[in-house]
Amino acid sequence: MSGLAGSDQIATWVAALMTLVVLGGLLGERRVFGWSQHLLAGLATGLAAVLAIRELIIPRVAEPLVADPLGRGDLWIGLGLVVTTAAVPWIPRAAAAVPISVLVGSLAAFALGGAVVGTLLPQLAASVARPEDGAVATLITVGSATVTILVLVGFLHGGKRGRLVDGAAAAGRWAMLVGLGGWLGYLILSRLILLLDRLTFLIGDWLGIRT
Amino acid sequence: MSERSRLAGRLAPLALLLVLAATSLLPTDAGLEFPDADASAANRLSNTLDALPDDPLVLLGFDPDLGTYAEVRPTVRTLFADLLERGARLAFISLTPEGRALAVSEIERLQVSDVDGGRLVDLGYLPGAEAGLVSIADVLSGADGDSALGPSALEGESPALAVVVGGNDIGPRSWVEQVEPRVPDLRIAAIVPSVLLPEVQPYVEGGQLSALIATPRDGATYRAAAAVGDFASVAEMDGPPVVSVLLGMLAAIVLLGAGVWSRLIDLARGGRAGEPA
Repeated sequence: MSGLAGSDQIATWVAALMTLVVLGGLLGERRVFGWSQHLLAGLATGLAAVLAIRELIIPRVAEPLVADPLGRGDLWIGLGLVVTTAAVPWIPRAAAAVPISVLVGSLAAFALGGAVVGTLLPQLAASVARPEDGAVATLITVGSATVTILVLVGFLHGGKRGRLVDGAAAAGRWAMLVGLGGWLGYLILSRLILLLDRLTFLIGDWLGIRT
Repeated sequence: MSERSRLAGRLAPLALLLVLAATSLLPTDAGLEFPDADASAANRLSNTLDALPDDPLVLLGFDPDLGTYAEVRPTVRTLFADLLERGARLAFISLTPEGRALAVSEIERLQVSDVDGGRLVDLGYLPGAEAGLVSIADVLSGADGDSALGPSALEGESPALAVVVGGNDIGPRSWVEQVEPRVPDLRIAAIVPSVLLPEVQPYVEGGQLSALIATPRDGATYRAAAAVGDFASVAEMDGPPVVSVLLGMLAAIVLLGAGVWSRLIDLARGGRAGEPA
């Protein structure tokens, strides 16, 4: 049973009706399906607001500031940035740009730094062809290095290129298409299992045919 | 397009739904079994759990999304049971609102299943995406025990393992990028829906993830081998009916094939129409 539906019969009925509405969209019933999308958007917004108030603003900002107003300079700075963001329509553009710049700059710094240290460098090292214990394992490293190089060459644009580079770039683009095809297969599998889960819920939890 | 083919196109999804519904009445493993397949991913997770110390604290980075949680839910719940049977305490933390909603639901389910409250630690919702992960890493590494964002409920205790349940924006990749370089001693395992396998599998091959369960097959293999003991009510052993999955995938392949065939026919007709008389 889905943990979202719980054992409560009302919750099960609401979940079943919503599932039928969404499946109705698949069969051409768009109006009620549209309402269900609005309901989902509203619920998501409400959840985000409740989380922000109950799990962030009160316990992590308001309470520490009330408990120790002089000892939490970091929170005062954060609060100042939040107030500045909220006041964007009424303050000069130069002042309004400060919180947005801090937000974008810090996110970019964390994301880019992490991508380089955690993904780019280790994965480049892992894709280097090297001798392994078995011949098959060695061939796999050679294959992965070759595919990596071909895909990188596939991104070369502009300038005059020889036939060899053109051929390698075309092979790289085909390698990417194969990868995208594989990813599409996984996507279909994921969505299919979600559909089956809903059908199993309708048949089992709601109608009680399959236990 | 004729009226008949238009009607057939309209009814095809309904027919597929009815067939899938009928096959989902069959036992999960009727005729076909997922766990018969390659067990290397499941073994890797089992070995990671076997290496845990006694009464470990396991940090659960819980950020699945509503759209794909159904796929990983049986494996996640069986992992809960497996960890509890091994004496672990589970510390839940989420970095996305969706993940938090699902975490609350799962914690409540565990409490209803009579799991001792002392073995469940709710670290709540941590905002800030990558910045939030960095604050977790700082707390775990002891660099910043007084972070405004960091999970104070850990009270200085270090988890023996982090298990990331992914599906949302903040998943195993973010944990590997932000936490692993800052806390290299913390092993990270992951459970993700199959759509994320191409993104996450390289981290297993590169040694940055200790274990990964990312397909229904790997999930079924792990569930078949997991010893849940007294926590059988916590586990969810049945996954999707295998026959239904097979039929659904065949239908998808037929649809894709029909699309390609119709495109080829159109191309051939267009080419013929363009020939000089």
